Amino acid sequence: MTEKPTEQTIETEVLIIGGGVTGAGIMRDLSLRGIQTLLIDKKDLCAGASGGNHGLLHSGSRYVFSDLHSAIECRRESTILKHIAPQCIEETGGLFVAVAGDDPEFAENFGSKCEPAGIECTPISTSKARELEPLLSDRLFKAYRVPDATVDPFHLALLNVAHAEMVNGSSFRPHTEILSFICKNGKIEAAICRDNRTQSTITVRAGQYVNAGGAWAMDIAHMANCKDVNLLYSKGTLLVSHDRLTTHVVNRLRPPGDGDILVPGGTVSVLGTTSLRVDDLTTVKPTVAEIDINVREGTAMIPALATARYIRAFSGVRPLLQSADNADDREVTRGFALLDHSSQNLSNFCTITGGKLTTYRLMAEKTSDLIAERMHNSKPCQTHTTSLPDEESCRWTEPGASPKYWYRANDPEDMILCECEMVPQSAIDEIITDAPGAEDEMNLEAIALRSRAGKGPCQGSFCGIRITSHLYDRGHYHDKTGLIHMRDFFNERFKGMRTIIWGQQAAQMELAEALHCGLLGLNNLEDD
Amino acid sequence: MAEPTIPTINFKEKAEELLPQGASFESCLTCGLCSSGCPASGIENMDPRKFIRMAMLGMDEELSSSKWIWACTQCKRCQHVCPMSIDISQLVFLARSNWPQEKKPAGIVRSCQLIQSTDSTSAMGLPPEDFVFVVNDVLEEVRELQPKFKNLEAPMDKKGAHFFVNQNSREPMSEPDEMVPLWKIFDIVGADWTYSSKAWAAENFCMFSGNEKAWFEVIRKRVDAVNKLGCEVWLNTECGHSYYTMWNGINRFGMEVDFKLESLVTYYARWIREGKLPVNSDWNRKNIKFTVQDPCMIVRKAYGDSIAEDMRFVTKALVGEENFIDMQPNRSANYCCGGGGGFLQAGMTEHRRTYGKRKFDQIAATGAAYVLTPCHNCHSQMEDIGHHYGGSYGVVHFWTLICLSLGVLGENERTYLGPDLLECI
Amino acid sequence: MIEEARHFTAELAVIGSGLAGFAASIFALNRNIKTAQIGNTGAIAYTTGYLDLLGSLAPDYAASIEDPWQGLELLRSSYPEHPLCRIPQTDIHTAFEQFTGFLGECGISYSSPGKTNARVLTPAGTLKPTLCMPATMQIGTTAFSRQEPCVIIDFKGLKGFSSSQIAANLKDQWPELRNTTIEFPDMSLGEIYPEVMARALEVPETREKLAKILVGAAGETKIIGLPAILGMHSPDLVRKEMEQLTGLEIFEIPTMPPSVPGIRLREMFEQLFPQKGITLIPQQKVDKLKIEQDGARLFLSDSFGPITVDAKSVILATGRFLSGGLEASIDGITEPLLNLPVTQPGSREEWYREKYTDRRGHEINKAGIEVDASFRPLDNNGAPYSNNLFAAGVILAHQDWIRGRCGAGVAIATAYKAVEEVEKYLS
Ligand SMILES: Cc1cc2nc3c(=O)[nH]c(=O)nc-3n(C[C@H](O)[C@H](O)[C@H](O)COP(=O)(O)OP(=O)(O)OC[C@H]3O[C@@H](n4cnc5c(N)ncnc54)[C@H](O)[C@@H]3O)c2cc1C
Ligand SMILES: Cc1cc2nc3c(=O)[nH]c(=O)nc-3n(C[C@H](O)[C@H](O)[C@H](O)COP(=O)(O)OP(=O)(O)OC[C@H]3O[C@@H](n4cnc5c(N)ncnc54)[C@H](O)[C@@H]3O)c2cc1C
Ligand code: SF4
Ligand code: SF4
Ligand code: SF4
Repeated sequence: MTEKPTEQTIETEVLIIGGGVTGAGIMRDLSLRGIQTLLIDKKDLCAGASGGNHGLLHSGSRYVFSDLHSAIECRRESTILKHIAPQCIEETGGLFVAVAGDDPEFAENFGSKCEPAGIECTPISTSKARELEPLLSDRLFKAYRVPDATVDPFHLALLNVAHAEMVNGSSFRPHTEILSFICKNGKIEAAICRDNRTQSTITVRAGQYVNAGGAWAMDIAHMANCKDVNLLYSKGTLLVSHDRLTTHVVNRLRPPGDGDILVPGGTVSVLGTTSLRVDDLTTVKPTVAEIDINVREGTAMIPALATARYIRAFSGVRPLLQSADNADDREVTRGFALLDHSSQNLSNFCTITGGKLTTYRLMAEKTSDLIAERMHNSKPCQTHTTSLPDEESCRWTEPGASPKYWYRANDPEDMILCECEMVPQSAIDEIITDAPGAEDEMNLEAIALRSRAGKGPCQGSFCGIRITSHLYDRGHYHDKTGLIHMRDFFNERFKGMRTIIWGQQAAQMELAEALHCGLLGLNNLEDD
Repeated sequence: MAEPTIPTINFKEKAEELLPQGASFESCLTCGLCSSGCPASGIENMDPRKFIRMAMLGMDEELSSSKWIWACTQCKRCQHVCPMSIDISQLVFLARSNWPQEKKPAGIVRSCQLIQSTDSTSAMGLPPEDFVFVVNDVLEEVRELQPKFKNLEAPMDKKGAHFFVNQNSREPMSEPDEMVPLWKIFDIVGADWTYSSKAWAAENFCMFSGNEKAWFEVIRKRVDAVNKLGCEVWLNTECGHSYYTMWNGINRFGMEVDFKLESLVTYYARWIREGKLPVNSDWNRKNIKFTVQDPCMIVRKAYGDSIAEDMRFVTKALVGEENFIDMQPNRSANYCCGGGGGFLQAGMTEHRRTYGKRKFDQIAATGAAYVLTPCHNCHSQMEDIGHHYGGSYGVVHFWTLICLSLGVLGENERTYLGPDLLECI
Repeated sequence: MIEEARHFTAELAVIGSGLAGFAASIFALNRNIKTAQIGNTGAIAYTTGYLDLLGSLAPDYAASIEDPWQGLELLRSSYPEHPLCRIPQTDIHTAFEQFTGFLGECGISYSSPGKTNARVLTPAGTLKPTLCMPATMQIGTTAFSRQEPCVIIDFKGLKGFSSSQIAANLKDQWPELRNTTIEFPDMSLGEIYPEVMARALEVPETREKLAKILVGAAGETKIIGLPAILGMHSPDLVRKEMEQLTGLEIFEIPTMPPSVPGIRLREMFEQLFPQKGITLIPQQKVDKLKIEQDGARLFLSDSFGPITVDAKSVILATGRFLSGGLEASIDGITEPLLNLPVTQPGSREEWYREKYTDRRGHEINKAGIEVDASFRPLDNNGAPYSNNLFAAGVILAHQDWIRGRCGAGVAIATAYKAVEEVEKYLS
């Protein structure tokens, strides 16, 4: 913490800006072609939409009405991902259900719409649907089965990065924000970055520069004076229930609207989403109104959502490529755009944005094709056939994985530090030393991102304390920094709780605040 | 033949069925009060909070086959201290019932089988005729050798008696003289009581073995026997779980009975209050110290603190107020001894003693020379951990001390008295 | 099956067994009011044992205040609705004295309420202001203020309590502070809980074993700090004996839940109240409460069946969300027993501020029920709900005990006031 800001220059073949799934995917794709990269993110992996989405591995059926092209893309890509990254995917299957009040014609047409997209879609009786998912409303009138699945984006991004690091020593730097580019003679010469931890400046010199900044892609393009990226922003808000309510992904069979998908995520369920135009990316967060809409709408499909215990809410931003002036942002194409910026007189810069988690691999492939071509590298893309490796230190994001591991190891000395998600001490230790982005001063947030710690009902309020103590014991902290990190972690977790604190969660929150503020005085850390 | 496998339970689903009103596992704050106060914490690396979280995290396979469920005595202390009143023992019962018979701890299964094997419902398999024989045999001997009790009665199958008295099999089976103090007490207070040749036994390991059907069968036999004799009160003698299994079973299986279930302890208290049992503590000249073990089966899990108060009243009357030292924690908050839930029969000796360490510490902290308890399991377990951890206390039944105080304790009825107590006679 | 319904009568029924409930019973005892108390485990199970009167002041609850009595004066002018402002200071003082006096008689001695707040240690290595503390924790505070050499000792297997953390955070303010880790006798493997250690220390032999280890760990230092494990029901005795055995001065630091001090208090009350003639029904919730002109009837049930309690008067001390005295739903905050009106922010959007550790605290924490000058809850018309219903503790509106560091203060002072009013009512 006391380090003085220093200057540093890093050289790399390709600089990738943005540690979402797209950036991570490009990093891996290029490494498999023998190209060395540096991936940076102003925060950490999955700090953007990749960490704020529904986790639905689309079969494509959701898009059969609005966007046949995307639907087909999703069908193809989801099939590939199920093969190359099964460890990140749960093949839950999906249901589309219409409830009283929904448009019967729309519901009736669904099956025939899936056909041209090549999506397997089976009509089932409503009683069958309720047998599969007992919590479904009894006001169902139409139901279909589709091959939807769920995907853990954190695990996916971590594995992509870990694989790239393993293959050719490409590297990832968290907390490294791009501030500006130095351009000369139709080329970017260097990228000026800031280490957000130490505030030091880092100059990165690369042959090629990739902007995988997601919703921030327009801002980043502007830094290189590129005016050809025009984005609108659509914010989506989701809530996480304490329990997993369904085994399948459940979609409302109607034109896309608020609160109409419930996606299981390991041990929880995620309800969403809303869709709201926003102008400012810095103030994105869930609002009470959005939460209420999601719950109200979701309840029509699954009545238990009205009384479920929620433990978290979050928002993500979809970048929408500005073209048609659509009334509903959900109708805007979910396709992606790859811009080579040749029209902006730059020959070593490109931007990839839009798309979906489901199509991240394809987005990475197209981008890498462009880069490889520019670098005269003729190796073809391998990511559609090469499986992602099982890197040990990346496995902790999967819900239920750490308790399983811990239970099997049966080591009484390996104490559970996060009791909700049952994350043992050994997992924390492994993450600190080996996980992608591990650094000297890894804080609680970074550990939580790489594990399930803090994701259970107590939302980190107990385990934050226990992990911090453990880190002091390990000699990771020697001064107040540990407390500051702990407070920041609680503040960060709270952002996701603020709008859903009622019922049991109000009790949990009161206990948390009594501990953190009443006892430990974390609200007064600076006062002493 | 292939090893039988343990089927997997969907705990979350079951939990929802089990607990429709409130107290759902979902409301757990993961605060750990349950684990902190559970003597089974740490055994097999498990504890109640972990059990709930694993259930919530869908680790059904692991939980379904965890051996820990045989180390949790279903004592419900976790629920007692939980701010959300979450009851783990119900899930544990579920898990137990799910184990194939062959895999369950053989001792518990065998005890349950034996209970079913005769009309006695005795876990030691003592048939009705043997029971009748032993009772009469002992009775004759007492009448002969103890002139004071030459008219002592031990009525058998007496229709219309007020009390239907049950008996733990351990007495008729291995220490028959221990029945005598009880008879003497009935004699002194002039109770109208009877044994039954059928369904006389108290113990019920079928509940612990997770065999709901067998549990029901045993209870049915016992209910029938009481009804047949037309008794008003089914009187549970000094045996903790027999009361609970009967009382809880009747409610659980929705059985209609028109007699009352009572524990002998409450009658001791009543008879002392009414002057029918003129006990006093004058004999305790050396101020020997006593403490009391509250069996969770009749205190926390059934009557609550009222019966614990009765036990203390009786104890103080017997040993002198100043010679009674309460264990901490006590009454409804007491720790299970670690012999319950079939633990004593389960063959998991090391785990059982680990569990019992808390009880041992509790007893040791009182510094008492004797523990009084109206429960056979507690009795055996406390003796065992006492030996194991090097304690110097003894364990006695209430009936022994009552007769000692009344000066009517026969020669053969002093098995559990140490030299210090023997001197007081 | 034939069951006997159980029925109790009392002059006063106290609902809730948090600090407010227990305090109310003690004050009622002191006034010879026949009392029945019902309540299950709530927030008290998590407390530190520190009894705060007032530690920080609105609006920004910044640095801790030194003189809580003067703080109360300031509060009175800036925030007169605060429950603590509705009770004379002398009464608050008496309430604390009676409460800590009772605890002391029962084997948990406390420092008596003084003129100023003490700065006491927390398990994170921060300091917090409090008025009274258990005697077992006192030496830590004096050693700190005198800057005496001291070793904080933690235990292998005890999670969430790190002596390195405490030392690292206090080293600037307490250069003579060191730390070390030891193993608890006979508990070297795996996780251990403070509760288990505390109970083990009730046994003389364990004390002797631990004493030997502590002497080694202390080295030349004469004062040592331990997590709060010095016995469960006789902490004063355990500490005294440990000091004799080691020749050291020993103090405790509270741990994070599940911790000992709260259980200590609860078990002590549960132990002693029945002996003192209070009808205590522990670990049960009142399901229904019927208040009538001349009395109230409480309905509850335990595993054995239904229980009713008839009382002439009732004190509602059911706490907040954690204890179940208030309930928050997606639509708003309610009081579940009588559906009393709850003063609360206009919408859920206003319950919490954006930032968790916002200095001003969260509005939801000031929600609660309204009472009149006699601490009788008000109905929808602003009139007392009934003449024989009173309320005490943190269920009351217009206080943020967490940020104000006035949890015990609100509980004890309002309980005192409510019992005083009960007595008036009864006579
Ligand atoms: C509410 C919502 C729900 C969704 N649900 C699904 C779904 O169920 N299934 C699906 O397939 N897709 C879904 N999506 C889409 C999917 O999440 C995104 O398409 C995908 O995550 C985009 O990944 P990305 O890497 O392109 O962008 P991002 O994940 O947004 O990554 C961009 C990164 O760039 C970093 N960055 C920004 N500025 C800078 C800078 N100056 N310097 C350095 N780094 C910078 C950010 O920190 C961020 O980490 C959803 C999207 C939203 C918003
Ligand atoms: C982690 C933590 C640390 C704390 N640390 C401190 C500290 O250092 N210093 C300090 O002064 N204070 C501290 N406190 C606060 C203190 O313990 C009390 O919370 C506070 O004083 C409020 O007391 P209360 O009695 O009003 O409410 P509570 O303590 O909440 O008690 C309410 C009681 O009512 C019961 N109840 C609710 N509904 C019913 C019903 N229907 N029937 C019967 N009973 C019912 C509950 O079960 C509970 O027992 C802490 C609290 C917590 C949670
Ligand atoms: S005591 Fe209750 S709330 Fe706390 S962890 Fe155990 S079950 Fe959960
Ligand atoms: S029932 Fe008893 S043994 Fe079982 S988990 Fe609860 S406290 Fe532990
Ligand atoms: S043996 Fe005794 S203490 Fe142990 S479970 Fe039975 S009744 Fe409870």
